[in-house]
Amino acid sequence: MALFSAFQTTFLLALLSLKTYQSEVLSEPLSLAPESLEVSIDSARQCLHLQWSVHNLAYHQELKMVFQIEISRIKTSNVIWVENYSTTVKRNQVLRWSWESKLPLECAKHSVRMRGAVDDAQVPELRFWSNWTSWEEVDVQSSLGHDPLFVFPKDKLVEEGSNVTICYVSRSHQNNISCYLEGVRMHGEQLDPNVCVFHLKNVPFVRETGTNIYCKADQGDLIKGIVLFVSIFEEPKDFSCETRDLKTLNCTWAPGSDAGLLTQLSQSYTLFESFSGKKTLCKHKSWCNWQVSPDSQEMYNFTLTAENYLRKRSVHLLFNLTHRVHPMAPFNVFVKNVSATNATMTWKVHSIGNYSTLLCQIELYGEGKVIQKQNVSVKVNGKHLMKKLEPSTEYAAQVRCANANHFWKWSEWTRRNFTTAEAAPSEAPDVWRNMKSVQGHCVVTLFWKPLSKLQANGKILFYNVVLENLDRPSTLKLLSIPAPANGTELTLDQCSYQIHVTANNSVGTSPASVIAVSGDPGNKEVEEERVKGTEDGFCLSWKPQPGGVTGYVVEWCERPGDPLCDLQWKNLGPNTTSTVVSSDAFRPGVRYNFRIYGISTERIPYLLEKKTGYSQELVPSDNPQVLMSNLTSYSFTLSWKDYAAESQPGFVQGYSLYLKSKAARCLPGSEKAVLSDDSICCKYKIDNPKQKTFVVENLQPASFYEFFLTPYTSVGEGPQGAFTKVTTPDEYSHILIRIILPMIFSILLIMILCYLKSQWMKEKCYPDIPDPYKSSVLSLIKSKENPRLTIMNVKDCIPDAIEVINKQEGTRKSLTETEPTKPTYLYLLPTEKSHSGPGPCICFENFTYNQAASDSVSCGHVPVTPKAQPSQLGLLTSSENGPKALGKNYVNSLGEIPAGETNLNYVSQLASPMCGDKSSLPTNPPEPALCSEYKTQMAIPMGLASPPSITLLDEGEHDH
Amino acid sequence: MQKNTSTLLQTYLQYQGSPFSDPGFSAPELQLSSLPPAAVSFKTWHALDDGERLGHAQGAFLALTQHLQLVGDDQRDLNPGSPILLAQLGAARLRAQGLLGNMAAIMTALGLPIHPEEDTLGVVAFGASAFERKCRGYVVTREYGHWTDRAVRDLALLKAKYPG
Repeated sequence: MALFSAFQTTFLLALLSLKTYQSEVLSEPLSLAPESLEVSIDSARQCLHLQWSVHNLAYHQELKMVFQIEISRIKTSNVIWVENYSTTVKRNQVLRWSWESKLPLECAKHSVRMRGAVDDAQVPELRFWSNWTSWEEVDVQSSLGHDPLFVFPKDKLVEEGSNVTICYVSRSHQNNISCYLEGVRMHGEQLDPNVCVFHLKNVPFVRETGTNIYCKADQGDLIKGIVLFVSIFEEPKDFSCETRDLKTLNCTWAPGSDAGLLTQLSQSYTLFESFSGKKTLCKHKSWCNWQVSPDSQEMYNFTLTAENYLRKRSVHLLFNLTHRVHPMAPFNVFVKNVSATNATMTWKVHSIGNYSTLLCQIELYGEGKVIQKQNVSVKVNGKHLMKKLEPSTEYAAQVRCANANHFWKWSEWTRRNFTTAEAAPSEAPDVWRNMKSVQGHCVVTLFWKPLSKLQANGKILFYNVVLENLDRPSTLKLLSIPAPANGTELTLDQCSYQIHVTANNSVGTSPASVIAVSGDPGNKEVEEERVKGTEDGFCLSWKPQPGGVTGYVVEWCERPGDPLCDLQWKNLGPNTTSTVVSSDAFRPGVRYNFRIYGISTERIPYLLEKKTGYSQELVPSDNPQVLMSNLTSYSFTLSWKDYAAESQPGFVQGYSLYLKSKAARCLPGSEKAVLSDDSICCKYKIDNPKQKTFVVENLQPASFYEFFLTPYTSVGEGPQGAFTKVTTPDEYSHILIRIILPMIFSILLIMILCYLKSQWMKEKCYPDIPDPYKSSVLSLIKSKENPRLTIMNVKDCIPDAIEVINKQEGTRKSLTETEPTKPTYLYLLPTEKSHSGPGPCICFENFTYNQAASDSVSCGHVPVTPKAQPSQLGLLTSSENGPKALGKNYVNSLGEIPAGETNLNYVSQLASPMCGDKSSLPTNPPEPALCSEYKTQMAIPMGLASPPSITLLDEGEHDH
Repeated sequence: MQKNTSTLLQTYLQYQGSPFSDPGFSAPELQLSSLPPAAVSFKTWHALDDGERLGHAQGAFLALTQHLQLVGDDQRDLNPGSPILLAQLGAARLRAQGLLGNMAAIMTALGLPIHPEEDTLGVVAFGASAFERKCRGYVVTREYGHWTDRAVRDLALLKAKYPG
């Protein structure tokens, strides 16, 4: 078969060359065949580019020719495209034609051939087809490389909804290949054993970054794919054109959505006008300028074409130029002839044609709001008179224009500010006064409120105050006070005055405000009433005054504690009997005082009522300093007279007294209350705010109490403070004091008396013990020339031994008996001596001891006879020497002390009770030395005492 | 760093569309000729001496830094509206460079020869299609993770040998 085909071709070629030869020779019409056909590939655009030329044309000959092009796929017999391409051909001109393949060129081998024919009326004889060129084969697959799998087309950019053909080329026959569009398997047709084609219809937009299409082998990781970039390309929106000056048209639009295109692929816009046939490429994405032709073209038909890599989108607009005029803003705008109430605005407009009229709109602004609005028709010059303006006020006027015949758009505003001229103030100033008397003069302080802007009609320069003495009507006094002042102080005599106050600006004077003062300040005593304030202010009302009142004035201070006070007042009509006074300056807890004055027909204010109140009452700010007095066992008194209840941030309605005690029950008059610290106490309520003392009664004596006093207002009590501690005294303590004090006084008195009479007392109670050294006996002794005689010092006595004398019942015998008995008294002297022989015995006798003791001290161990008794014992016995003085007794006895006798006998006083025992009486004369008897405080020589000087009591007497 | 590599791979796949973003996507046989694979049998790996082991890793990270740069550029074209992905790719490249520097310091300290810095990508990188670039990015981010894991083991072994 192939051999036959080759033979046929050779035969045909031979025939053709023969025919050509014949035509040249025979001058037959030439067949103009395409020659030098070359085919190139644009893979990205899937295009075949053909270029060829026609050689057999004569010089400068131009012929219209038609070329028939055939494109076959896979094999030449499979012709998939036949197209006739007509064009004008010159000699040796390179002709070009392109064909875009639906199927990616890599998917199959393509072949191209063509033939030509003259299609020119000049040479109708040449209208026959030339021979076909040979097939030009295009085979991209052979240059793909050795990869096992390919997917085409690569990175294709398509519009949403278009149809796309995809193929894969597999070099491996073993593997089954599956292909997926975003994970969804696709089903295609097998183009040849290695190539499979997929026709995608109406491709969707998935994402801007492209749609993945991939193929993979059933085994292994072999995966290949492409990214299909699907774009959404919308037509431009809001296409509109207008002119401002009839010279240039400005067309604007909003670009349509252009999703899915990568950044480098941008859109372009072209503006085409169909009547003039002109076209312009727009430099901007959303607007374009078009020069209006000077030939007074009225109608315009624009086509705006947006074009991207893939396609074009167009919108159309047909309009009359004069209907699309957006005038320029008015110019030369002035505000002239500005008076206090009128002003004239003038302006010019840009012409929009010889016969057109503009409609202009004027707006007048005052304080940021439109207060006048007016429309005016204007050719070139505009003018508008603005009336009913306020004097001395800033205004802004603005104007804009539009085509009056065919409204399209307003121009921009042109604005001018101006201020109207001043006028005389329209209202009298609101005047009030404060009067006080100082050193016989009446000091009047005038206050006035600044006029409002509307009332002032300009800048107030000064206030005139005219004083008219009512007693002397001809006397007038004028004061001029510069403007920022809002009051003045006048010192007047007690005369009555009428005061006229006017405000003045540069233009004129306001009406006068009249107020009269009389000698009597009119501050009569009026009882103050309480008024309750609310958030909205104080609602004040008063009794209407019967006749003769031209109005009322309510006066108050906004800063009551301040010396400047910030006096405020409110003028009210004669028929008003109540008003609400409100102010931002009112603060909670501040007491405000209001005075209501009536204004007489003579313009004299007189006080009608006083009110006082709080805008909001608060709890008391501090507690009283409480003094305690009259503390008794059962009560005490509290007083807080210094407490300033008036300065509290609320009306003090009373006081609460808290009393803590250990008693569980509250006393009558009080009730239990729980404090903030959860402690329980008793609460006394003192309802009278004027009561500043309180007696706490019925207390327990000697008990501990704590109290705390706090005031309360309608809101609540004062701050929690410290409790004061108090302890009631014991019930009997005062009685004790009444007894003890006189006792102490009495004792003191006695002591003083005793002191004063001490000598007497001493004599009576404790006479002096005579001092032997000072005794006159000494002198007597000396005079008897007994120099050895001396007074024994007690220190010289050395106590040594104590001898107990056994008392033996039944052995009582008379002293006269000579039966020796053992002495049973204490031996204080050394026993050797006492036993060596009859030693000296000293007997002390002290008269300060009572007589009974002396009686008992009957140191009867010395054998004495009653007759020999020289001592004071004689006082007890009927001694002969009884009437004699003691001293004499001493003298007698001492006088008989023999010289040379040194042995002393001593009887301690301690031993006296024993000595007093009659059974202990020593009856043993040979042992007198054992006996020491304290009789007097002097030593008596034994020699002298040989008849012992100690007088012993008779037995019977002793027993008594 | 190991956690970051896994995050980077997940983020990368998430932005590429199907099949990359499909759950469980994995194509272990996809490789790049310019990037040495990290996968190695344990026996082979263990048989390497320190110098070879470090040399392999250093060479791989040298290639990875360049590939991560390339993937960053690709994604700047393909996913211009994904700053998170671009930031993670940039951060990964800096980490790879940091690790590379550390390994070079270790190798210098051990007296081992260091791979010279060379252009591992060559001229082949630029003609790739969008899908190829997505695949390439996948291989690079995947291998970046594998190489990081391997480098951690390399260094751990090294640390065990040279304690302190």
